[in-house]
Amino acid sequence: MTGIKSTITKLSLAVVAMYGFSYALVPIYDTFCEITGLNGKTNEIAYVANDIKEDNRFVTVKFISNVANSAPLYFEPSVSEMTVQVGKPYNTHYVMKNNSSKQLHTTASPSVTPGKHAEYFKKIECFCFNQQTINAGEVKDLGIQFIIDNELPNDSGDIVLSYTMFDISNNIKETNKL
Amino acid sequence: MNRLSILIISMLAPLTTLADWEVNMSRGVSPTANAAYDLHMLIFYITVVIGIVVFGVMFYSIYHHRKSKGAKPASFHESTTVEVIWTVIPFVILVGMAIPATKTLIMMEDTRNSEITVKVTGYQWMWKYDYVEDDVSFFSKLADSSNEARQLGSKIDVNKVDNYLLNVDNEMVLPTNTKVRILLTASDVIHAWWVPEITGKKDAIPGYINELWVDIKEPGVYRGQCTELCGKDHGFMPIVVRAVPKQEYTKWVSLNQKNRVADKSK
Amino acid sequence: MSVNIDHLKEEHHQPSGLMRWITTTNHKDIGSLYLWFSLLMFFVGGLMALVIRAELFQPGLQFVVPGFFNQMTTMHALIMIFGAVMPAFVGLANWQLPMMIGAPDMALPRLNNWSFWILPFAFTMLLSTLFFESGGPAAGWTLYPPLSLQGGNSMPFVIFSIHLLGASSILGAINVIATILNMRAPGMTLMKMPIFVWTWLITAFLLIASMPVLAGAITMLLTDRFYGTSFFTAAGGGDPVLFQHIFWFFGHPEVYILILPAFGIVSTIIPAFSRKKLFGYDSMVYATASIALLSFIVWAHHMFTVGMPLAGEIFFMFTTMLIAVPTGVKVFNWVATMWKGSMTFETPMLFALAFIILFTIGGFSGLMLAITPADFQYHDTYFVVAHFHYVLVPGAVFAIIAAVYYWLPKWTGKMYNETLGKIHFWMTTIFVNITFFPMHFVGLAGMPRRIPDYAVQFTDFNMIASVGAFGFGLSQLLFVYILFLTLRQPVTAADKSWEGAEGLEWTLPSPAPYHSFDTPPKVD
Repeated sequence: MTGIKSTITKLSLAVVAMYGFSYALVPIYDTFCEITGLNGKTNEIAYVANDIKEDNRFVTVKFISNVANSAPLYFEPSVSEMTVQVGKPYNTHYVMKNNSSKQLHTTASPSVTPGKHAEYFKKIECFCFNQQTINAGEVKDLGIQFIIDNELPNDSGDIVLSYTMFDISNNIKETNKL
Repeated sequence: MNRLSILIISMLAPLTTLADWEVNMSRGVSPTANAAYDLHMLIFYITVVIGIVVFGVMFYSIYHHRKSKGAKPASFHESTTVEVIWTVIPFVILVGMAIPATKTLIMMEDTRNSEITVKVTGYQWMWKYDYVEDDVSFFSKLADSSNEARQLGSKIDVNKVDNYLLNVDNEMVLPTNTKVRILLTASDVIHAWWVPEITGKKDAIPGYINELWVDIKEPGVYRGQCTELCGKDHGFMPIVVRAVPKQEYTKWVSLNQKNRVADKSK
Repeated sequence: MSVNIDHLKEEHHQPSGLMRWITTTNHKDIGSLYLWFSLLMFFVGGLMALVIRAELFQPGLQFVVPGFFNQMTTMHALIMIFGAVMPAFVGLANWQLPMMIGAPDMALPRLNNWSFWILPFAFTMLLSTLFFESGGPAAGWTLYPPLSLQGGNSMPFVIFSIHLLGASSILGAINVIATILNMRAPGMTLMKMPIFVWTWLITAFLLIASMPVLAGAITMLLTDRFYGTSFFTAAGGGDPVLFQHIFWFFGHPEVYILILPAFGIVSTIIPAFSRKKLFGYDSMVYATASIALLSFIVWAHHMFTVGMPLAGEIFFMFTTMLIAVPTGVKVFNWVATMWKGSMTFETPMLFALAFIILFTIGGFSGLMLAITPADFQYHDTYFVVAHFHYVLVPGAVFAIIAAVYYWLPKWTGKMYNETLGKIHFWMTTIFVNITFFPMHFVGLAGMPRRIPDYAVQFTDFNMIASVGAFGFGLSQLLFVYILFLTLRQPVTAADKSWEGAEGLEWTLPSPAPYHSFDTPPKVD
């Protein structure tokens, strides 16, 4: 009988471990994405540009925008593309307007393509994942400062930065109810 | 892909275009669609050959090694040599397939040096097209003729609707012989954009951007559908691409740019 | 096929009638419960398939609205996978494993009872969602967010029932492993076990490793919907693609769970009817183990179009192609078993031979799907539907049917009618091909999956497929008739019901006694 008990104990531990593993996949996936630039994930913490030197390569960066779930927002880049020198910091901004008659809470999510170049697109300052509150009819400028890392491979083409703006007012309301 | 195989395939391919009894994918009108088709046919022929050999041996055995024919069972039941042989040979065949497959994949994923960029956004249940450099922007949804016919109990004969379920109100116009980069995203749930004759599909994921490239070599109208389940009208949000020579495209852009400009004056 | 236990009742004060079935801890009774349940679910899932095929008979919408159609496709898959195929294999495991290894019962008989009784409860809950106002689940059995997060009130019930089904499978797997590892008759080393026992042992390990991952994934869906987490929504820093990774990490081993026991069955039946030992037993064991291990590193081939980096696409293309090697080895070993054998073609053998041919065809379309650049054209079309139905229907289901015909005399002591069995075989095989082969064509021609209506150029093959589906369904009624007819026969089967059958179960009387191998047999 002890043979059976030992088998059962080990298997039960394996079951619990595999359940935990599925949750561990969440941070594993995130880390893997950041290291490899999978899914166009860019740095989430502001990048401090210490070791970057200007170099004589130029890259075209295109800016696009999306509004999720047809929210009543106008959200567009101020310029749709910039030709930038690698290793030099640049500023640009997006414009957001609340087209509804209510105050809204919003958040933006970035994505870069091609994914393999996402790791070289360093944001020094950006509005991603910072919740914004925007009043009815208000217009806001949302600035970003970025720099292209010298490590960018030589044969890369254009880089596209995309932001998706989400209206999260409903989620905010629910947490405020608690 | 050597010239001989291309010759053979293109000679046999017309056999497979018998209208409604379509049994094969189209060779397509762009380098990526062509490459996918050629690879598809290569692997298909290899599996046909393997099938003929393996099933041939089986049928032979079923006929000759029957008890009713007086066959007496042999007693052999293992052989390391034979196991090694039929592990190594399939492995070698697979390596042979993997080489062209990898080359084709690398070619398909290279979106550099595109001349124009179009952002495609999937919605429940239609598409939006934003021409980034040319400032054109519009929604494209299932045409009314199809939408009326497809309602449950509509009593409309769908065979009489032109391009039933594959027609839209506003077509996506693209120039031929131009490398176009398509950026894909979605507004609500995951969709997928697919026009088989011009390229393979890719998912449109809310909050994320994907990309693919097309270079349409022949003018024409190409139709496709959403290919990721996105809710009740997943089957009713087609894509229509009209490929025209560059001059016609430029004219179309200037006609449609006005809409966009009107939008921006806030 | 229940054993007469009247005499036991008096000795052991065992309940009879309904209470017998509710409280039984006997592996033969529980095996029967699983098999009858699976047959019922097969018809329920089959009915849903017929709703789908009726609607797809012609272009235009004739019978259902798109939202309900999506519920049918979702439920059809959930029922067939979790209600028909998996319970059938567990039923076969319950009946056969103890007898094959010379053990008196499973290691944990009471847990065994509970593992079964979870199922009717869970499926009642799952099926009841079809009657909710907001309808049942309609996001596909793969439940991808954000679509699945838009679901109505059915969502928590669906998730709860899948949790229950997963628990049942996990408990069953623990039972199987504990039994096989600890209760084999003296002298039966691992490499002397019947091959069916090996395939179930490996399947049970796959269940232990993969089902808890599904549990994690669906719990994350639940908390994203109701408890403010954002695993899968970009707004909160999450990613819908993350769900796909977690789901398919479970999902791919799951499809091997659905086929490995079938391999074991075919590896049992072919030698029996060729009157020749299985060729390459050791090789078959290693091939099965290789398939199981490889199944953990191929999952993203279900996701080639999500926008993975090139390196990922290449990696998964290579590993997926690689899995064809051990699978091919198995097919060659079966053919080598037949070669220079002395074959007869009773119904179990017919189904096993059809399995080899038709499963291999499913394998060929699988190899084509593995090629990533080509998959960009096949993904989410009917080509994929054709592929997985070939490996699951003339694959897994044929093996289950073959196993039932093969072991029926052992379970009941009665022989089925061979002529009727052959008719069932031919009708089933012909209709299965009429149903699923045309799906390759419409898929290649551009027809997407999961759509209730299609462009008119797809009409002809869809009509053929629909006719085939109804024919296939009707043929299964013949199967039920054969079963009931058999149960009314007198007990005439020999202990060794088939001339070429090997294994400890054939040393027992037919029908096998309610308790067998109370003392373990000697194995040389």
